[in-house]
Amino acid sequence: MTALTVNLESEFEALVQFLYLAPVGLAQVDRDGEILMINPLSAQLLMPLARDANLTNLFVVLESVLPDLRHMATDFAMPHGKVCDGVRIQLNAGGRSKRDPQVLSLTLLKLDADRMMAVLNDISEQVKREAQLRHNEMWFDAILTGVSDYALVCLDHQGRVVEWNSGIGRVTGFERDAVVGQPFSVFYPGGSITPDRVSDRLREADDSGWSLDDGWRARADGSRFWGSGMLAILPERLTGFPASGGAALDENSIYCLIIRDITEKRDASERQRKLTSCDHLTGVANRRVFFEVTDLEIERWKRSPRLLSMIVIDADLFKTINDQYGHAAGDVVLRDLAEVMMQVFRPIDTVARIGGEEFAILLPSTSLVQAHAAAERLRAAVEARRVEVEGIRIAYTISGGVASMEDATGGLDAWMKRADRALYAAKAAGRNRIEASGPLYACVMTA
Amino acid sequence: METVTTMRFDDPQLITFLSGADAAELDQLEFGVIGFDAETLVCVYNAYESRCAALAPSRVLAQPLFTMVAPCMNNFMVAHRFEETQASGESLDEIIDYVLTLRMRPAKVKLRLLARPNVTLRYVLVQRAI
Repeated sequence: MTALTVNLESEFEALVQFLYLAPVGLAQVDRDGEILMINPLSAQLLMPLARDANLTNLFVVLESVLPDLRHMATDFAMPHGKVCDGVRIQLNAGGRSKRDPQVLSLTLLKLDADRMMAVLNDISEQVKREAQLRHNEMWFDAILTGVSDYALVCLDHQGRVVEWNSGIGRVTGFERDAVVGQPFSVFYPGGSITPDRVSDRLREADDSGWSLDDGWRARADGSRFWGSGMLAILPERLTGFPASGGAALDENSIYCLIIRDITEKRDASERQRKLTSCDHLTGVANRRVFFEVTDLEIERWKRSPRLLSMIVIDADLFKTINDQYGHAAGDVVLRDLAEVMMQVFRPIDTVARIGGEEFAILLPSTSLVQAHAAAERLRAAVEARRVEVEGIRIAYTISGGVASMEDATGGLDAWMKRADRALYAAKAAGRNRIEASGPLYACVMTA
Repeated sequence: METVTTMRFDDPQLITFLSGADAAELDQLEFGVIGFDAETLVCVYNAYESRCAALAPSRVLAQPLFTMVAPCMNNFMVAHRFEETQASGESLDEIIDYVLTLRMRPAKVKLRLLARPNVTLRYVLVQRAI
C-alpha cells in the first residue's frame, strides 16, 4: 500500500514534469474559454498578450489578435472535432524584435460539450523560412518565365558554360556547340575581357555572393548589344553541402550568369556614366575613375598576382603648342591624342586623362614588354599624324613611361612613381620616346 | 529561527538573508524560493516551491531554470530582465504580477526578481496572490 502510494506520487511527479517541459503549448478550456489547465509553454506564449497578467480565459487573451475565436467555438455544431486547425496568429505585441514578427499557430479541438483542448506553437521561424522561400520563388519566376531578354547561363568552377538553353540562343544567337565548355568570355567582344578577368569575376562572386558587370556583349553574328550581367554563386554545391565562402577554385562550385539585353536603356545610363566618369574634353576616363579602377586591380593582384602594367603618357612641349597656336589648338591636340589611344588600346584597358596633358593607361593581363610595345605603337601612330587647326597642320609627339606591378607594398603611389620616373627618363633622353621601369631596362635606369 | 518566520516576501534586506540562509531556514519560508547561478542552473529550491509545483528538489536542482524547470518564465518579463542585469552588472529587485502554471492550473502570483552584483546566486521568489 505504501509502496503503491510512493509509486503513484513518483509517477504523478514525472507526469507533471512531462507537461511542464512539453515543447508545445497545451491548454484545456471550457465552452466559454475559461482556462482549466494550462502548461508552461502555453503560458509563455500567451503571457505577452494577457492584460494585467490575467490568464484566465483563452478567448479573452486572444481577442485582440483572433477576435473570431469565440464565435468559431460557439458556432461549431459537431459534438466533437477540430474547431480550427493550425490557424496562424500574428502577434504585434511581444518582447521580440519588431523586425521578426512572432507568429503562433492554434489548433482548437472540441472534446465534448464542455471541454476544448488548445494546442499552441510558436511558428515564427517557420513563417520566416516560408517567406524566404516565397521570395526565392519570385526571383526565379521573374528570371525564368515570361521574359524574352534574359539568358540564364550555368557555369562551372572555371566559368565554363555547362549547358545550353533556348534563352542563350534567343539573347546571344549562339548555338549549343559554340558555347558549351567555353568560358563565359565567349559572350564578350574581342579585347574586352581576359582569362584573368574571368577568374576575378568568379572570385568576386565567391566573396560577396555576386558580381555585376555592365558593358558590351557579342552575339554569334558579331553584332554587339549592351548587356547587364549578374554572376552569382549558387549556395549549394553539387554534392548538396553548403559551399564554404571564398573557397577558391572549389571544383563543386556552380555559378549562375544572367545576361540581360539593356541596349534600349543604355543611352540614358551611358549619358549618366559619361557625366560622372569621363573627362569632358577628351571623352576618356577621368582621374577619379582611373584611381578607382587601378585600386581594384591592385586588390585583385594581391589576391592572385598576375601580369599588370601601367603606361603614363605626356604630350611633348605642349606649352609651346598652346603658345604658338592657341589653347583651342591645344584642345584639338588632346582630343586627337585621346582618339588614337582609344584605337591602340583594348576595350579592357582603362585610358584616362589624369592631368593637363598627362594620360595614364591601365593594362590588365599585360607584361612590361607587351605594354612597352603598345606604348611604342601609340608613339609611332602619333608621330605620323597631323592635326589640322584652322588650316594649319600641326605635328606633335608624346613621351611615355611604362611600369609593371611587381610589389603591392606602397600601392598605387609607388607604382605610379616608377612609371613617372620612366617618363622623366624618356623626356630627358630627348622626348618622342617610351622608356620602361623594370628588369629589362634595369641597366638603363641604374646607369 | 525567529528571523526566519518574520522574514517577509517584500523585505528590503531579503537577498542578504537568502544568501546566508541554510536549506532548513529556506524551507521555513512562506513563499517559494528558486535560487540559480550565473549559468542559470538551479541551486536552491525550497519546500514551499516544491509543494506548489509538485516537484521534488531532486528533479529540479542543477537543471537550467529557464529551459528545463520554468520555461514559462523564459520571456522578456523574467529571463530577459536577469540577462540584462547580468550584462550591465547592476542590481535587480522588482516585484511583478504573473501567472504560473502550477500543476497545470493557472495561478496568479507575485514574482520578486532579485540579483545583486556581489551575491553569487540570483533569485526568483514566488508568492501566491491573496
